[in-house]
Amino acid sequence: MSEPGRQYFEDIQVGDEYLSPGRTVTEADIVAFAGLSGDYNVLHTDAEFMKSSIFGERIAHGLLGLAIQSGLLTRGMQPYATLAFVGLRWKFKNPVKIGDTIRVRAKVVAKKETSKPDRGLVTVERTVVNQRGEVVQEGETDLIVERRRA
Amino acid sequence: MSVAAPRFYFEDVVLQGVLETPAMTVTEAHVALYAGLTGDAAREHGLVPDLLPLCLTTGLGWRVPQPPLAVLAFMGFEWLVDSPLRVGDTIHSRSKTTLKRSMKEGGVIIEERQVINQRGEVVQHGKFTFLVAKRPA
Repeated sequence: MSEPGRQYFEDIQVGDEYLSPGRTVTEADIVAFAGLSGDYNVLHTDAEFMKSSIFGERIAHGLLGLAIQSGLLTRGMQPYATLAFVGLRWKFKNPVKIGDTIRVRAKVVAKKETSKPDRGLVTVERTVVNQRGEVVQEGETDLIVERRRA
Repeated sequence: MSVAAPRFYFEDVVLQGVLETPAMTVTEAHVALYAGLTGDAAREHGLVPDLLPLCLTTGLGWRVPQPPLAVLAFMGFEWLVDSPLRVGDTIHSRSKTTLKRSMKEGGVIIEERQVINQRGEVVQHGKFTFLVAKRPA
């Protein structure tokens, strides 16, 4: 039996688009992520050092932005019947600074059969934009999604 | 008098040099903190969210016997999830610099990185691209 409220491989179409709500990235988010990940690099934690950097101030960890967009997108779409997360290709285009508000736009760009008949591969292109519409991160994620069971 | 903290510059990075980090056990607390902070949750109870080991490897990556790399920017990465990680598993990471390209401002390095569990199995792996500062003249 397929679970209601989830999108199965057959339900997903190439070209489907999703838009997440926005989220303001705060100093507390960056401090919490440093504590959780153990990444205390000066880029994210030393306000004085960063005054003289190309960014002029602390910036959010790139992977904090990645993790936040992943959470945000779950709030902007009906969940997939995901069996596995295969991987991703990702680019950091611009920094996310304290107080910036980000959201993610996503689009299904490919669907492929796999060797197993009960599932398929779905590639979703994701673009993370800030409050000025600038792209801060972008990439593609590959997911294995279950087919509907008869 | 001011003493600068030691940093590891582009010139210091050894091509093909392998670095191993200490290990850490991924707990329910990590999963809960991660879910609360990011809104990103695991697919099922007992599994670690797929992006969490990737995040933890960046912290582990600093715990190597050399000064911190003078990263100017994290430019991007490619990443593959080989097998799911469960709460209670213990991971460490292994990395190797496979490319160094000198630029006008700093230099680009590509680092291959693996996340390895307590049985020695690679659970996630990929390539990170960093822009690294050159040693000040």
